[in-house]
Amino acid sequence: MPCIVALIVFGIMGIFSASQRALAKEAAACVFRRVTFRACNTGFADKVKGKLLAKVLQRSTFLAKVLNKYYEIFSWIFFILMLGSTIWVLRGVYNFYVFGSCNGLNASGFCAFDPSGANNKVTEVNGSSESCGITPKIEKNITLKNVELSSFPSLAVAGAKDTVVFIGCYDCDYSRKAYPDIKKLITKKKANYIFAHYPAKGNITDLLANVGYCVYHDYPDKFWDWNSYLFATDKDYILDPKNMDAMLAKFNFDVKTIEECAGSPGTKEAVAAQVKELNKTGIYGTPTIFINGKAFVGPKPYRVYRSAINKFIFF
Amino acid sequence: MSDINNTRKDFKILGGEKPPIYFDTACMSLRPDRVVAAMDEYYLEYPACGGRSAHKLADRVTKKVKEVRKNVAKFINARSDKEIIFTRNTTESINLLAYSFPFKKGDVVLLSDKEHNSNLVPWLLLRDKIGIEVKIIPGRQDNTFDLEKFKEMVSGVKLVSMVHTSNLDGVTNPAEEIIKLAHEAGVLVLLDCAQSMAHQKIDVQSLDADFIAFSGHKMLGPAGTGILYGKIKLLESLAPFMVGGDTVSDTTYENYQFLEVPEKFEAGLQDYAGIIGLGEAIKYLEKMNFKEIAEHEFKLNTKLTEALSKFSQIKIIGPADPKLRSSVVSFYIPGKEMHQIAVMLDEMAGIAVRSGRHCVHSWFNSRNILNSVRVSFYFYNNEEEVETFIKTLEKILKIL
Repeated sequence: MPCIVALIVFGIMGIFSASQRALAKEAAACVFRRVTFRACNTGFADKVKGKLLAKVLQRSTFLAKVLNKYYEIFSWIFFILMLGSTIWVLRGVYNFYVFGSCNGLNASGFCAFDPSGANNKVTEVNGSSESCGITPKIEKNITLKNVELSSFPSLAVAGAKDTVVFIGCYDCDYSRKAYPDIKKLITKKKANYIFAHYPAKGNITDLLANVGYCVYHDYPDKFWDWNSYLFATDKDYILDPKNMDAMLAKFNFDVKTIEECAGSPGTKEAVAAQVKELNKTGIYGTPTIFINGKAFVGPKPYRVYRSAINKFIFF
Repeated sequence: MSDINNTRKDFKILGGEKPPIYFDTACMSLRPDRVVAAMDEYYLEYPACGGRSAHKLADRVTKKVKEVRKNVAKFINARSDKEIIFTRNTTESINLLAYSFPFKKGDVVLLSDKEHNSNLVPWLLLRDKIGIEVKIIPGRQDNTFDLEKFKEMVSGVKLVSMVHTSNLDGVTNPAEEIIKLAHEAGVLVLLDCAQSMAHQKIDVQSLDADFIAFSGHKMLGPAGTGILYGKIKLLESLAPFMVGGDTVSDTTYENYQFLEVPEKFEAGLQDYAGIIGLGEAIKYLEKMNFKEIAEHEFKLNTKLTEALSKFSQIKIIGPADPKLRSSVVSFYIPGKEMHQIAVMLDEMAGIAVRSGRHCVHSWFNSRNILNSVRVSFYFYNNEEEVETFIKTLEKILKIL
């Protein structure tokens, strides 16, 4: 058993150090002999045991005696603990790869690979302030069930099996970070796509929501370019109402018609209804991306979205 | 003559606050600083080929190598320095003889039952290759040499290849009697002096040995140096087994002309630094009194043997009398892996001992003993070190 423990420990350390690699080889030779029902004759197990016992013996004869007597049992315990921690680490690596967090999808505990928690950061939807902290909320409360999405801009791809729903806000840094990846995803994976603008920062983004609603209504083909433009252009510029005419003109929209539409009570009611509908999802921040119904909160690395589409998520 | 009690200062490794307790001389001795300095001098001042080029640096190397060869010859009292062949170690020396000697199918080589693999495997290989017969003389109950058995077995043998002092238990075989009896039976003798050369005065003429093999690294010299001594007439009758660089005086596309002994056996460029270091080691040893060394080792051996005899679980390999085991105390605990104890001695007190089967696997296998810890002394060890060893071992045995 000590050989197996040593093989794993030195095997991992051997990735970084040639001297540890040599020990790993010795341990491997020992393990090989043991699994082929032969005594380990490399002396490796004894060397390891000798080193441990010597260290303990220099502190306490009693403890050394106990360690010597129950060495095999201690080795088993250590092995089981190590196996457990190895599985835990592997799970963390897997989670980080497919969810962007060691702790699982949208889970906010500390992750060594993402120490700042950047992959989970959102702009909270319940207030106007941007919160960059890690929130304890979990994705299981978020769902598209009973949410009516037909009024939102959508792109249907013939024969597509996957559907991506992006709920984001033009003024949200994290939505802006995620947007290019989502755009790339739906292009590459040919997925159905629904975009929902959530005016996470209240009045300041309401205008863009209303204008967006009207643009999609009047110019559905040009909406996606408009959308991309808003996510790519400086926030201060797009949020300044004074620039709205110029922006609309840039896309050859009928500025007057769009502005009238955006200011109309009907549009405001429709957008409010949309927001109400989005609230049914239970989202707590933007961006929230649903891929085939599974929610990904915060700007995940592209591979996370790709994994979801590729059905690489097993757990 | 050097004062044996004042030699530790000649070894840098034994200085400092907490020097290692080096009890592994049977594997490899420490080197006096002057040996290392001599090798350094070669590399730094005249790092050239010997016996080939004509420039001054090469000339200096050639002279040095020649001088060492003479010193080695003088050290073992050979008749001529031509009887000294430089090799890499005892193993190579034995192999050189094994493959140069005109063996034919059915020839018998006689060995003791505790030969180092270097003096067993070459013969077993020849048995498999050309069909020589390898016979083993069983030792006595106390692991000493059975001269009566030898008398019975020596007749009709081609070569007796025998360890002089065993690296397993330190027992020195009665070389003079063995050689005398062998010669009476018309049999040649190769003596493996790897362990004895540094601990007792070897006089090849007095012993009348036909061949002896030994290593530099066990006698204060550098690793990678060894000697095969052979009586000149015998060496001249052998054909070299490794040839090429050096070894020949002339070649054509069809033929070659071998050099004289010993050069015809020294193929390729030699380890000049090693040879020069070996020369320095021999100079150092020449100033030592071998009788004093033996007495010192006996004193240490006795002290350790007495202490070990108090532990009922410990078995000493070889005769109980330390006088018969020269500088070696090899012990084991039945059923216990001794590597662990060796590691603990090192970890706890910096004591370097050898654990394992000491390349005498055949002996351990035939007796079903796992392995042993071997303590081997030299003149640079002292009683204080033995006391530390005993105290540390006592602690270890308490928990086993």
